[in-house]
Amino acid sequence: MDIRKVKKLIELLEESGISEIEISEGEESVRISRYPQPGTVNVAAAPMAFAPQVAAAAPVAPAAGTAPALPPASRGQQVTAPMVGTFYSGPAPGAKSFVEVGSEVKAGDTLCVIEAMKMMNQIESEFAGRVVSVLVENGNPVEFGQPLFVIEE
Amino acid sequence: MDAEQLLAALADGKAHSGEDLARAFGVTRAAVWKHIPKLADWGLAVDAVPGVGYQLRRGIDLFDAGALRSALAPEVAARVAALDIFTEIESTNRYLLAAPPPSPGMLGACIAEYQTAGRGRRGRRWSTPLGAGLCLSVAWQFAAAPAELSALTLAVGVVVRRVLARVAGVEIALKWPNDLVWDERKLGGILLELTAEGQGGCHVVAGIGINVALPAELLPLLSDWPRGAVDLATACAPRGAPPRAAIAIGLIEELTELFASYAETGFHAYRDDWRAADYLRGRAVKLDEAAGHITGTALGIEADGALLIETAPGARRRIIAGDVSLRSA
Repeated sequence: MDIRKVKKLIELLEESGISEIEISEGEESVRISRYPQPGTVNVAAAPMAFAPQVAAAAPVAPAAGTAPALPPASRGQQVTAPMVGTFYSGPAPGAKSFVEVGSEVKAGDTLCVIEAMKMMNQIESEFAGRVVSVLVENGNPVEFGQPLFVIEE
Repeated sequence: MDAEQLLAALADGKAHSGEDLARAFGVTRAAVWKHIPKLADWGLAVDAVPGVGYQLRRGIDLFDAGALRSALAPEVAARVAALDIFTEIESTNRYLLAAPPPSPGMLGACIAEYQTAGRGRRGRRWSTPLGAGLCLSVAWQFAAAPAELSALTLAVGVVVRRVLARVAGVEIALKWPNDLVWDERKLGGILLELTAEGQGGCHVVAGIGINVALPAELLPLLSDWPRGAVDLATACAPRGAPPRAAIAIGLIEELTELFASYAETGFHAYRDDWRAADYLRGRAVKLDEAAGHITGTALGIEADGALLIETAPGARRRIIAGDVSLRSA
């Protein structure tokens, strides 16, 4: 199969919401997947990798607090926590989240708030793009450097 | 004329006839009258006395930016880049966060007579009648985020405590991490907000709210604490609360000093004072967190400002965030 056709298929997949595509042409077939297969190495850091750290540094932290979904192994950029604290997805309890999966953001848009000792740190996006993963649930503790979002340009 | 001008005319607490007001502003009496509901929106009691005129039930010593500025110590005044006073604003914190940060080494300050969305903790509403409290926010830009940045909330608490001791002669306690306490009741609160600036710097806004002189019937409603809220007038009785301007001047001066030196001193310079004022130490507490709540005894703060709670004999938890309340025995 022509490599340009494969490249086109990859682009098509990325633009769409689907996770996997398989095309057969006569004898040839190709399957392209956006998500890591079992047994493959996931290049984007999985949030679970941080769970032991969370549990060790902040006893408050339930390791289960991080979202179970793995970030897609794509070109997405990670936004990480600049400080230890509690992750808030919206400006107030019960308020709408600043962003959700699928939200389009501009550089400078607020993504979440991290609170420590009633210091509210507004975390802004450094990139413009689309939020493809939200890795922490509202109200859960986060560690320094823990991935919070994946944003795809 | 507008409602602000009417407020300024009535602030002395004396009766002013509709006719005199209309003449002074060059409008009709009906035009004066139509601004009265706005004063009520601000939480003010306006009495319309037949044959006499309009009168505020309590006079208000409104803030005057020029007078405040000229009362600041000259070395502080030189560092105050902006001192904005609003009759009404959504939130002094929000205003300063949205404004460009002051140049490093300079302080931005904002005072509101009335906040429409006074941001207490996590969006909790704190509504105080116009002129009855002190709503002050200050902004500072750190070229590089200082170590122990989170403990700034606690350091600001120490500054408020020092200023109230000096200016009002009142000794307050500090409830971890951000509440001002007098006699088991909430006197006010502190809320810090920050955004990152380029090259590792940050723009910090510290908001301080203090109940100064409120209608007594409102105090129990302003706080969800068991004994409600308290104001400075009560704490200072019988001599009465000091002028709000005196507190504001003391706070602006000492906060400028705090921010200018914090990168060097860190929380260390404030820690002993904080410990001396620790409201929770030795008491039974409850911490609310996403996964439920934990209970224990507060053991005081660690070197970096984190709260230690003994959850069982020999078992300690280090608390960075969350809402801590007293547990009734």
